[in-house]
Amino acid sequence: MEKNMVAQKDDSAFQMVKREFLRDKWALTCLVLLSIVLLTIFVWSLFLDQDKVMTVDILRQYERPGVDGMLLGADQGGRDVLAMLILGAKNSIMIGLAVTVLMLVIGILFGVIAGYYGGIVDNLMMRFLDFMMTLPMLLLVIVIVSIIPHYTMMTFVLVMGAFYWVSTARLIRSKALSEARKDYISAAKTSGTSDLRIIFGELIPNLSSIIVVEAILSLTANIGIEVGLTFLGFGLPDSVPSLGTLISYAQDPDVLTAKFWVWLPASLLILFICVGISYVGNVVRRTLDARQRLG
Amino acid sequence: MEKLLTIKDLKVYYPIRSGILNKVTGHIKAVDGVDLSIEPGKTYGIIGESGSGKSTIGKTIAGLEKATSGQIKYQGVDVLHSRARKKINYNKDVQMIFQDSLSSLNPKKKIKDIIAQPLKNFERLSELELKKRIKDIIEVVGLDEDSLHKYPHQFSGGQRQRIDIARAIATRPKLIIADEPVSALDLSVQAQVLNYLKKIQQEYQVAYLFISHDLGVVYHMCDTLAIMHRGRFVEVGEREDIYQDPQHIYTKRLLAAIPQVDIAKRQENKSRRQQIEEEFLKNMASGYDENGRPYPLKRLSATHLVAKKGDE
Repeated sequence: MEKNMVAQKDDSAFQMVKREFLRDKWALTCLVLLSIVLLTIFVWSLFLDQDKVMTVDILRQYERPGVDGMLLGADQGGRDVLAMLILGAKNSIMIGLAVTVLMLVIGILFGVIAGYYGGIVDNLMMRFLDFMMTLPMLLLVIVIVSIIPHYTMMTFVLVMGAFYWVSTARLIRSKALSEARKDYISAAKTSGTSDLRIIFGELIPNLSSIIVVEAILSLTANIGIEVGLTFLGFGLPDSVPSLGTLISYAQDPDVLTAKFWVWLPASLLILFICVGISYVGNVVRRTLDARQRLG
Repeated sequence: MEKLLTIKDLKVYYPIRSGILNKVTGHIKAVDGVDLSIEPGKTYGIIGESGSGKSTIGKTIAGLEKATSGQIKYQGVDVLHSRARKKINYNKDVQMIFQDSLSSLNPKKKIKDIIAQPLKNFERLSELELKKRIKDIIEVVGLDEDSLHKYPHQFSGGQRQRIDIARAIATRPKLIIADEPVSALDLSVQAQVLNYLKKIQQEYQVAYLFISHDLGVVYHMCDTLAIMHRGRFVEVGEREDIYQDPQHIYTKRLLAAIPQVDIAKRQENKSRRQQIEEEFLKNMASGYDENGRPYPLKRLSATHLVAKKGDE
């Protein structure tokens, strides 16, 4: 009986998303293509050895596409562009995901505590947030990345997560502020539930819809930021390929004009991933907001 | 009879802040010196217009608002501060029913989890006992067992209000504060919910503090009632004292505002209301001091008190 009811409820939410996708052909196309591309990237990357792919073979420098079994040719170091593309995309997406998770955890905790307690707690926390907002984050990330002597993917994620949670916290706080004034929170208080359990058991589940939307939409932004930083040379270490690494080869005028196979696939892929995710994210956002639904 | 809860000179002020330094420049006196005592198993009504502070009293008693000063004693224990309340598991005995049943039930939780919440917090029950208790409680408010596995939005307004009541009675409290429990319901459902409340009172000997602006509902429910205006009581008395022999000009005005379905005497009723309104405006000084604050209560009879000037 109980399971039945849960299934019904889940079903209706799932049905709603499905209906919304069917009404929006663009989003549906994006979803299908995105799933295929992501699946390909993650499965394929399992069969690739990063060290082997990144080994320089000077004889194959700037090999044209199709030669020597390399479908997308080779880069300056004679490395297979297709293999780098797959590994780079995997790394970029993984970093985007990790930063998003970190950012959400910090942002949700900060925002929910400020919104739930309100008053002076909220005031102090928001002033700190205002201070964080005034910092030039991109610059700070670049400085910190340059200072840290041996940085890896992990430190890069931590540095980015430490700065990019601010807008999430602000969003969550504004929603938590209005949600925490509702009577069911008062009822939980008179039922003797502790503040901590009210925050995690009552408040956060009721913020889940904006959390999901925020997660999807900031995933795109975070992938973009990682690629941008790597492009500028402040992202991942050289031994780790990223979409940004491939795109940054285009800084050489000769590569940009004559050897398009090095940078074009990566540029198109990042464009596709970002556009695709934001289309899908918008559908989810519309589903959760009844006023914006198409059908 | 021993008092369940006594309130002495309760004040709840909200600061008004202004200026660049955000200094406190004044206070909104939501509740401004109120005395009240509640005996077990009886029903008390607080009636007043919007903004008169009646809900604030209820929330302060339930521990949701902080009192500025005054005294709240529950069975002889001072419960003004949250630490004292926690020590004696105060909210196990004092529960609250909210006005808007939709917002007072967590939309993401099933009914059984909503009702289980106070039980889990205040009583140590085994899984089996808990299930049985929840089943008993939902039957008391006339809902079937299937509804335990549903979510709040799957119910009608009247059913939701009954679920709200079910949660409030789960721990068998001694006092329930009902903050306009039926204002959001239509008339036939109002009667049904009120009858459930009466039935529960007979069964569990619970005292009610009934907060409402609906004089008809209060007449149906309450033994003793207090008329509230501008943060203070203007008249306190038994049901008959207030309805048959209103003394304060505000009480008279409030009673005149009860709508009457009597088409033949429509004009007559209208002119009577207008006359009372005129009298109210003319005689403001008899019930309110120069700042518009109601006078302290004076005793008229054993049960009837009214806000009056001087020692007459």
